[in-house]
Amino acid sequence: MLTVAIFLPLLTGLGVLALPRSRPDLVRWTALAGSTLTLIAAIILWIGFDPSGGNLQWRMTAAWIPAIGASYDVAIGGLSLALILLTAVLLTVVMLYVFGEHDRAHAHAFLFLLLGTGLIGLFAAQDLLLFYLFFEVGLVPMYFIIGIWGGEQRRYAALKFFLYTRAGSLAMLLGFLALYLAMEPHTFSLPEIITAKPLAHAPLASALVFFALLIGFGVKLPIVPLHNWLPDAHVEAPTEGSVVLAGLQLKMGGYGLVAILLSALPQTVARFGWLLVIIALVSLVYGALAALAQSDMKRLVAYTSINHMAYVLLGVAVAAMTGNLAARQLALNGAAVQMVSHGLLTGGMFLMVGMLQHRAGTREIDRFGGLIGQMPAFSGLFGLLAFGSLGLPGLSGFIAEFQVIGAALQLSVWVAAVTVLGLIIATAVYLRLMAGVLMGSAPPDAAALPALSPREAWSAGALAGLSILIGILPAVLIAAIDGTTRILAQF
Amino acid sequence: MPEAGSMSCMDLWAVGPEMVLAGLALVLVPIAGWARGPWRRLPSVAAFVGLVIAMGLTAPMLTAAPREAFCGTYAVDPFRAFYQLVIEAGTIITLLALASHFRGAEQEAQAPVALLMASVGGMGLAAATDLGLIVLFLQMVSFPSYLLVLLVRSDRPAQEATLKYFLYGAAALAVMAYGLTFLFGLTGSLNLRVIGANLAGADAAWVAFAFGLVLIGYGFEMTLVPFHVWAPDVFQGATAPVSGFVSVVPKVAAFAGLLRLLLEALPDSLVAWPVVLAIVAAVTMSFGNLVALRQTSLKRLLAYSSIAQAGYMLMAIAVAERTPDALPAISYYFVAYLCMNLAAFAVLAQVERMLGSDELDAVRGLGRRAPWPAAALALALLSLAGIPPLAGFAGKVFLLMAAIEGGFVWLAVIAALNMTVALYYYAVVIAEMYFREPERTEAVAPGAGYAWATCLCAAGTIVFGIAPKLALSLAQLGSVMLR
Repeated sequence: MLTVAIFLPLLTGLGVLALPRSRPDLVRWTALAGSTLTLIAAIILWIGFDPSGGNLQWRMTAAWIPAIGASYDVAIGGLSLALILLTAVLLTVVMLYVFGEHDRAHAHAFLFLLLGTGLIGLFAAQDLLLFYLFFEVGLVPMYFIIGIWGGEQRRYAALKFFLYTRAGSLAMLLGFLALYLAMEPHTFSLPEIITAKPLAHAPLASALVFFALLIGFGVKLPIVPLHNWLPDAHVEAPTEGSVVLAGLQLKMGGYGLVAILLSALPQTVARFGWLLVIIALVSLVYGALAALAQSDMKRLVAYTSINHMAYVLLGVAVAAMTGNLAARQLALNGAAVQMVSHGLLTGGMFLMVGMLQHRAGTREIDRFGGLIGQMPAFSGLFGLLAFGSLGLPGLSGFIAEFQVIGAALQLSVWVAAVTVLGLIIATAVYLRLMAGVLMGSAPPDAAALPALSPREAWSAGALAGLSILIGILPAVLIAAIDGTTRILAQF
Repeated sequence: MPEAGSMSCMDLWAVGPEMVLAGLALVLVPIAGWARGPWRRLPSVAAFVGLVIAMGLTAPMLTAAPREAFCGTYAVDPFRAFYQLVIEAGTIITLLALASHFRGAEQEAQAPVALLMASVGGMGLAAATDLGLIVLFLQMVSFPSYLLVLLVRSDRPAQEATLKYFLYGAAALAVMAYGLTFLFGLTGSLNLRVIGANLAGADAAWVAFAFGLVLIGYGFEMTLVPFHVWAPDVFQGATAPVSGFVSVVPKVAAFAGLLRLLLEALPDSLVAWPVVLAIVAAVTMSFGNLVALRQTSLKRLLAYSSIAQAGYMLMAIAVAERTPDALPAISYYFVAYLCMNLAAFAVLAQVERMLGSDELDAVRGLGRRAPWPAAALALALLSLAGIPPLAGFAGKVFLLMAAIEGGFVWLAVIAALNMTVALYYYAVVIAEMYFREPERTEAVAPGAGYAWATCLCAAGTIVFGIAPKLALSLAQLGSVMLR
């Protein structure tokens, strides 16, 4: 079933390519059907998932390159499951959102579906080489998506995105090869590497591998100072591209930090824990401050992603450094929930901004105002997602950030204090955004904006609804994640 | 040593594939001169059939026990069989592309003959264990290649390219032959294995000197910096399918020849050749990639790219004696390199044929004008850049792994940096094809030969990428060398 979930999007994508050129509408239907089926497959995985059953459920293995000990090995734990569900949800939402767009629909649908396979495969891979493969399968389609359907500066942004991520992933590849060669007999198998922790007694080698992996995942997360590609890529990407980029691709970095870096090299992560904490705090404050300075809404949301994803890194660092098992688990739960929550909320925010741009042809905050009277449904959703993003209790962001800050208190009051500072700035960012767009009055020359179409309302509403669900009933998500983080916490 | 000239030395079955192709080439020489009209197709068809037969004869040798033939001058081992298969496959692909490229032109009949000659030379080089034969076969792979570059005689750049190719080639081969005489002088033998045994007590300074000279000759064919100078001009001056051939077959042959020389005649890392080659590899890949960044001619770009690729492969040669994984890694890489490089050149040939230009803007908007060739070119470039799940990715993983295992971690890091830089210029071409609106409306030149060449290579790039074990198991069989 897991393999079905992984390759269903790819198969749909290949099927889409075979459809006649003259029928973009058929392409959209097929793509939507394929992503919905993927979502159903993901839900089946969830139903069959045992929260206390360990990290290798639904496992399937097959020989791939036996000569070098690489195999097709997929399985899921709670974290993987949550992210796979998120992927399937966002993929479906995106396919719903782009339903009316017919510009090169075949290639468009194919690339997004290929991305879906890359992401689900990545979250399920239990073999480092397979992980790397899916990592890059997720990279190339996004390059094309930004480059073909992007904005004015799309070629520059696409190239920058490609080069940054590739530099990171090659560093990561070297790290993987080092882990592979450190295993005796050589293997890429992640569970075996996690059990053996091969570099625990090699301070220099483990430090090198640590930094190689940190660069690889850090570019994706992104962490300051490896974040430079992010604003350009997010702003130039088409709306649905930004949704996937922010909502899902940043999670590749976060997932890698938790599932590979922390799991395989916990002692080394602890050794460099303070460095990670500092990077996380700098990213957290920098992302929020930079967002505060933006007048372009898309750029603003892009910078808040740096702020939000820093919680994931902070969670990982705190988990590695504290000896307290409960605090470790709290930190990891926070990091995991943050990934899901950020996927829903920021994905939703990009959709909202995209809808505004589609209507008004601009994303400048100054060009809008008083939408609450004009577009009540839009304003409701926009406000909900923005409040979620700033961490209002009752929504998913709060659950995540609360847990990370709580765990950070175990480490040092000061860490928690700086985190709260970042949280306050982020709150200011979103309040300013809401005040500018929803309140006040529109500039006199602004055109009247039509209300949301049902398709738009459904796609953004689904994300907002899930965020509320997690906010009110966090147990739904945490029940699945808890078993995994308990295992992860016992290194 | 067996008696020279005795009948037991003659083992014609061992050189079946070479005999088929060489005999065919000789028969075709007069036919190619006389053929007119539709008969011009005959040499291509005959060469195709001959190559398929030769592949059929070569394949069983992959699993045969290594032995020597012709009084120790010729190795019959799986190593040789593997590299000969690669050369034969590369020649078939080139033949297909050339058949479309020169359709109806006078070169249609001549090209296959030169191709066959060059491939026989390359096949011989992969097997020769005698200094005299090595020189002979190196000439035999080079001279037909000069002719191939000059196929379009009226073309000024082609003339210039041929002259450059010839002058550099002649000089490099002369220097190499000079170096080989030192090996003979030091050991009193022309046989690689005897040389290897006798060199142990020789003066290291002279051995190093001889090795340096020999490396110049192979470095020329392998386009190692600083002996690569001819490559960009030749690649640009020749027609695209020929550029593809020159980028693959002489290179494969020279790599095989160098490997055999190093492992048989310079055992135990005499004169520290691993370190020397590691440095040359680092310089070659860095230089190739950095210069490629500034190219606007696609053939020149691919020329520098293939220089960089040679650097990657040399990385594994440097550790060939330190780890058993190195030989399969190089061999696998050659399969991947053949597929992706020839796919790129086949598409380029179609573009060049239609537009008469290989400049970057000739492929502008190709994604709309000719979706399938554009997709194949994009695939080939992504594979050259090492993006999974394509063959170039698995190949690079094997090479990096061999380098790290052989103790050259610094080299692996430099290679990884290089692969990042390289992505830039491959991505620029892809961006030109897909991220810009077409300014011209022409598609690409049609032709079944192009289509077959492109499809075969693209399929290889994908299949060997997703299931590397298919090619890797062959490569492992082919890493058994007579020693």
